[in-house]
Formats: sequence, C-alpha cells, structure tokens
Amino acid sequence: MPEIRLEGIRKRYGSIKAADDLELSVKDGEYICLLGPTGAGKTTALRIIAGLTEPDSGKVFFDDHDVTDMEPEDRKAVLLSQSYSLFPHMTVAENVLFGPNIRNWSEEARIKTLANMLDLVRLTRRSDAYPKELSGGMQQRTALARALASGAEVLLLDEPLRALDARLRISLRYELRSLAKSLGITTIHVTHDQDEALVMADRIAVIRNGKIQQIGTPIEVFERPISPFVANFLGQSNFFQGSVTYVNGRTEVRDEQGRTVAAGTANVEVGERVAVGIKVGNTEITKEHDGYLQGIVERTLFEGRDVFVDVMVAGLGRFSSRIPAGRSGEFSVGDKVSIDWSPEKATVFRLKDRSLDDELRVE
Amino acid sequence: MKRTERLVNFVSGRKFRKSWYAFIIAFFLIFVILPTVYVLTYTYTQWNAIQSNVLDNKETVDMILGAIAASFEIAAIVTIIDFVVGLPMAWMLVRKKFRGKNLLDTLIDMPLAVPTAALGFSSAIFWAATPSAMNAPPFALGAITSPMLLIILLHIVFSYPYMVRSLAAILEQIDETYEIAGQTLGASKLTAVRTITLPLFRAGLVTGIILCFSRSLSETGGTMIALSTMANSAGFNTGPTLIGTWKKLSGSNPELIPQLAFVSILLIIIALVLLVILKLVVMKVRLPMGKIWPTPEKILSRGLVPKMKDGFTVLFLAFFILIPSFFIFSFVATSSAAVGDWGPFLNSLGYSFAIAAIVTVIDLALGIPLALYISRNPSKKISHSLDILVNVPLIVPTAALGFSLGQFWTDQSLIPSVPTLLIILAHVAFTYPLVVRNVTGAMEEIDPSYEETARTLGAKPIQGFRRVLYPMIKSSILAGSIMAFTRSLGETGATQAVVSDVVTAPVYIVQLVNTNQYYLAGLACIILIIVSYAAMLLLRYLTRRKQGAL
Repeated sequence: MPEIRLEGIRKRYGSIKAADDLELSVKDGEYICLLGPTGAGKTTALRIIAGLTEPDSGKVFFDDHDVTDMEPEDRKAVLLSQSYSLFPHMTVAENVLFGPNIRNWSEEARIKTLANMLDLVRLTRRSDAYPKELSGGMQQRTALARALASGAEVLLLDEPLRALDARLRISLRYELRSLAKSLGITTIHVTHDQDEALVMADRIAVIRNGKIQQIGTPIEVFERPISPFVANFLGQSNFFQGSVTYVNGRTEVRDEQGRTVAAGTANVEVGERVAVGIKVGNTEITKEHDGYLQGIVERTLFEGRDVFVDVMVAGLGRFSSRIPAGRSGEFSVGDKVSIDWSPEKATVFRLKDRSLDDELRVE
Repeated sequence: MKRTERLVNFVSGRKFRKSWYAFIIAFFLIFVILPTVYVLTYTYTQWNAIQSNVLDNKETVDMILGAIAASFEIAAIVTIIDFVVGLPMAWMLVRKKFRGKNLLDTLIDMPLAVPTAALGFSSAIFWAATPSAMNAPPFALGAITSPMLLIILLHIVFSYPYMVRSLAAILEQIDETYEIAGQTLGASKLTAVRTITLPLFRAGLVTGIILCFSRSLSETGGTMIALSTMANSAGFNTGPTLIGTWKKLSGSNPELIPQLAFVSILLIIIALVLLVILKLVVMKVRLPMGKIWPTPEKILSRGLVPKMKDGFTVLFLAFFILIPSFFIFSFVATSSAAVGDWGPFLNSLGYSFAIAAIVTVIDLALGIPLALYISRNPSKKISHSLDILVNVPLIVPTAALGFSLGQFWTDQSLIPSVPTLLIILAHVAFTYPLVVRNVTGAMEEIDPSYEETARTLGAKPIQGFRRVLYPMIKSSILAGSIMAFTRSLGETGATQAVVSDVVTAPVYIVQLVNTNQYYLAGLACIILIIVSYAAMLLLRYLTRRKQGAL
C-alpha cells in the first residue's frame, strides 16, 4: 500500500483558499484523520488525492511517484462520499462487482471476490437488494465492500459516518478502523467530529483555512496543542489573555485588571502578550477556596455522564467546566464560585500581533 | 475484446477528450447557432436591397408588420390561456390521486404525437366555418369565422401539453411539506398555494412560457392548413406563413429575398429580446404575492369551488384539446371516398421518416456530449454561455431559422447545396436544443459524486457514463429523442423556408389542402397520426426491453 505525500498544494475557488501551501504525508497502512471545521479544505484535500480536483500548484506523490497528473481511475485510491453514492440501479452484488467488471476480471476471480467481500461486511444475505432497500449502516458497508473489491490501496473517506444515527455512528467507528487496519490499507478519513478523530486515528491532522495546523497522535494534539485553535477544536478550552510576568518552571500571566494566573512551562519571555488555554475538563470550580478567577454560575447543562457549568467572569466572559454528573448538586445558578486549575494542565500560546478572536474563528 | 479495450483507452485519453469537447462546441456554434442568426448580418450587407425593396414600399411594410404583430399577439394570448388552464391540470396530475389518472396522463401527451399539419386540418374542420365543397360533418361546430381566433384555438391544442408538462415537472420537485407547514400555520389551502408554492414555481413557469410562446410563434404548417381550410381567411398571415408563401415564390422571383430577410430579421430579433425580457421579469421581479385575503380565500378553498375548477379543467382538455385533435377521424368517416394517387404521399412520408431518424441520431450523438459538458463544468464561463445559447434556436421561429440557415449555407457555398442535406441541417438546428435541454435538466438532478466514485473505482470516463450515468438519465434521453423525432416529423415552416421545392409529408398535406383535395388530406393526416403514434410506442417498447436486459 502506498505512502501519500502532498507538497505545496494550492487551490483557490475565487477568493477562497481551499488549499494554501498544504503539506501532508501519510505512512503506508496508516489511518489518518483530517479534522477541521466546515469549509477548512478537508474535502478539497481528499479530492486532490483522489485526482478529482486538479490543484493550482503543488504535487501529489504516491510512494515517491508523482501522480499529480494521473487520472483518478489509475490511482487505486477510492473515494467514499458522504452519501456513499451507491449506484441506485444496481444491486448490492452488482455494486460490489463494479470495479472487477470494469477491469474485466475472470469469472472465477469475480465470484471469489464477491463472496469474500460480502462475507467481510456481513451482507451475503442481502446481495440481491437494491441500495434503497438497505439501512444506512448496510449502505455504508456496501460502499466499503465496493471500494475494497476494486483493489483499492488507498481509502479516502469523506465524513463516512455522518449520515448514520448517533448510536450506530459510534459502533461503526471501531468496525471501520479495524477493517482498514486489518487489510493494511492507507486510509484518510475526513471529519469535523473531534471525538470520532480521537477514537479512530493513528494520527490526526488538524486543518484550517487550507493549511495543516498540527499533525500528531490523538494524545499529542489533545494534550499539547500548538495553537489556541487546535486547543479549542479538540476538546473545548477556556482562554485567559495577558502579559507574561514570570517564567521559571512555570509561567505566570497577568491581565490588565491585575488578575494573575499560572500555567505550564513555555518558551516565552517576560512581557510577551500570550493566551492561556485550559481544557474545560481541566477547569475546576469550587466554593471551598480562592482560585485564579472569581465568577457567578450562569447556567448548568446536564449531559448524562457529565455536567457543564458555565461561569460568568467579570471582564473575561464565560468559563466552562466539565464536572462529573454526581457533583451537579453542588452548584446552582447565581452561586459565587472560584475557578482553578493545575498550572501544568494550562497551555501558553504566543499571540504575537494576532488577536485571540482571530485565532479561534471558525469560518 | 482487445480492440474495444484499446478504443476505450483511446477515447479516455485527456487529449482526445479535450479535442472531442472542442469539436462538440464548434459543431454547436457553426452548425446550430451561426446559421440560425446568420440572416441578421443582412442588416449590414444587404441593407440597400432591404431599403429599396421593403422599406420604401409602404404596402409591403404594412403587410409584414401586420403579420408579425398577429404572430406575437397570438403567441401571447395562447401562452396566457395555456397557463391559466394548464396550472390546475398540472396540479391534478401531481398532487391528486384519483381513478383514471394514468389515462389522463396519457391523454395530455396525445397532441404531441400528432404532426401540427394534421392538427391544423383537424381543428379547422371542427371549429371553423368551412367552404361547402368540403362537406364537413354536420356535427362539426363550424362557427369560427375569425382567422385570428381559429389560429389561437389551434395553437392552444399543441402548446397546452408543453405547459402542463413543464409545470408538472417543477411541481413534482416542490416539497408538499411547505404547503402543509403553511396550512398548519393558519393559511387556507388557496393562500398557502398562492403565497408559498407558486413563488417557488418560477423556473418551471419560465420553461413553460418559453416553450408555448416559441412553439406558437414558430408554427407554420398547421396555421397554413387551418387558414386554407376555413371559408374566408381574407389574406390573414402570420410571420411564418408569410415566409412560407414568399419562399415558394422566390424561386421564380429573387426580388423577394430582401423581404424574406426582413421578416426573418424582425422575427428573430423580437423573439430574442422577448426571451431576455421574460427571463428578467419572471426571475427578478417580485410579484405582489404577500398580500392575503383570508376570508374570500378560505371560501374559495372549500366546497364546490375546487371541484368546479377540476371539472372545468378536464372539460377544457376534452373540448378544446382532444376533440379538435382527433376530429379528423370523424371527417374522414363521414366523407364520401375519393380516389387518389397514394404514391407521392407514401414517398413523402418515407422521406419525412428518414429525415427525422437521421436528425434524431445526430442530435443524440452530438447533443448528449454538449449536455454533459454544460452540466459538469458549471463553474466555467463557457458552459454558462453555452447554456444560454442553447435556447436561441428554441425561441427563434423555425421559418425564420430555416430561411437564415438556407441563406447561410448557400451564400457560403461551403457545402454542396443538396436540398436533403440542407433540410437535415435545418431540422438539427431546431431539434438539437430539445435533446440538450432534456439531458442537461436530468443531469442537474444527479449528484456528480456518482461518476466521481465510479472513476475512483477504476472506471474510465466513458465506462462511467455507460454504466452509471446512462442508466440514470435514460428516460430523459428518450424524452428528448421523442421530442426531436416528432418535431422533425411535423415541421413545415423550416422545411419550406430552407428549400422551396422538397416535399415532406406535412408539406405534401399543405399542398393537398391548398388544391382542395380534402378527403385525401384527411386520410394522409390520419396515416401520419397513426404512424407517428406507432413510432412513439415502438421507441418506448424498445427502450423498456433494453432496460429489462440490463
């Protein structure tokens, strides 16, 4: 199975940059998730790899072969679109055999492939059904079988779980990943769902405005985000802006109103303008002692296992904290509370001349 | 196997695809668009002749302007009536369930299968006061003495199905839940329909209006026959009949060329200007739909009124469309038989069929690729301009188109002026857009991801088309080819205007009526009706069988 490498890919649609000097490399057999908000250029990247969209400049390599000008049908990179695009006038079996038929395989090879594939996705009994007679999950599996039967070496999944209901979506995450991994296929999975990416990916590439912001294992991008955007997109964060007042082992930051907070070590200098990001799960609220910030509980949102408590901090805005549902009785709207966190769980980001709002904006 | 594989590889190459599309676009521009509007250049090159032969002659100018004004008046009135009676019919077909709906659905299309020459003869016998030599059946209405009124009634017959079909097509795509939402919010049925559904209707309305208007504006054969069938048409002319008459005389009198050019130019320019205005008005102008009259609309939504509306709609179809279309059968049944020579008619019939078949094949071979190009490159400026240009031959009256095209090819003498070749080219010019329109319309409904997925699965573009796209758009291709075939078969105006002395079946019927051989004309019409209907059924049958084999 090939390695995939994108070098300096650029693509514009009018004034919109769908790919802006995009660099990405995917290892042989790797399962990578391309994560980003709507309009970040995820689908464009996928289509460029598939050969369906021609980049304005830049190159696409499969195993060091330049395939930028290669026709899509010669790449062995199958795209699975959001709606699966099962051919409505063909049965499950005919859909699965589409690739082998096009390539004119022998009758024997066709029969064998069909049996294997249907078995793999557990659809042997439904082989004569038409796509519209199948449930969403079955359609998804048919599309997968069709892709694999065509001899795909690269699987390009464009929000493959989007059209399914919530429960099925979660159970199919493991199934999809283990299928791809067991066949050793290089997979690029586009999604805007951070949970999906965290659970499924070997590595996550966070994309924004046509550029890869950060690429790394789920733990790396979650625990050590390199920008406020990544910090906020993977597991919502609270932010505090100010100037660095102390660096040594830990970092201290003070805002214009004189409030000082502490964060982990960072490569910044005293006096520099920075933002401190704290994941909602690491943000503690308490009535017992004084934390870094004081505020008033504005609302609580019950989400089953967890409860989100939103606290209004004067001059800073809303801070959210995720606490176990068992503690939900401790806080009610209007309570005065303190906000606290362990400094090593807070990340410092240099802002340079950009504003935090620009950093966080999701187009 | 090896050879087909090599062929598939060859036609899938990027170079071949690029040059193939370039060829398709060039064909469209040079063989369809350019000849259609060529005569407009006469305003530069032949201005002196037009000035001296036409403009300096007040009588000729009056005659031309009168005919053209009549043409546009008729087209406008016909379109309005079509809309008023077509909308409730489209509504019934799409939104209501009742017994006999399928039958109604088939009946609507019946007039499309009848060549307009036959329709003209049939309706004229039914409606018009006819000369006594004709022996119209005693139960014929025989009441209409105004040529204008007769032509309006005739044009409604063949344009009505177009309006109903266009409106029904768009209505099917409008989700009924909008209306239901409106009703749950407190609107009466009529208010909901008027304020919510109708404004969503514009696209279908534009198509329907353009089709009806241009069909009425173009119609020649049926109009000529109806006029010569009625007792006293007193020199009444429409633009196209004027072209038909003069073209025939121009063989012996070349002085008529500037007059022909002048009529054609006027028809083309006014038609194009109207097309632009219509698009702007219908798409841009906000109709005052917001106003609501709760009480009267509530009353109109219930009880007898809707039932009366449906009853009237069906009666209109029966009395104004179907009876006039097929009245010819009763005429032939009640007339005393006359002996005639069938040779010329059968020859002309065979000739017409051959032309229609060749034209349809050319339309399909060169029209589908253009439709693919237009619908799959929607971001490109070229495809947008092509999309607009495709409408030009549809809106230009075919008689003017035929004259323009004939002049184009004979003036350039690029191709030998073989009459048959010229007729084929003329028929291709006005039927080509029918195929392109139908296929583009269907393609717009189909998610490009089907073809793209097919390609990533290893299908070459042509394999993707054959195995994935073609089965999905087959019915639209069929609809387009039926339209092209029947339009070519029934066309009189363009044929007469491009060459004056070739006899296709409709032209032959016109000649029979002009020489008062009514019985033979009637029989010829019936044969034409039966044969066209059989051809349509056969086409449907063949494609259905193929579908089963897939």
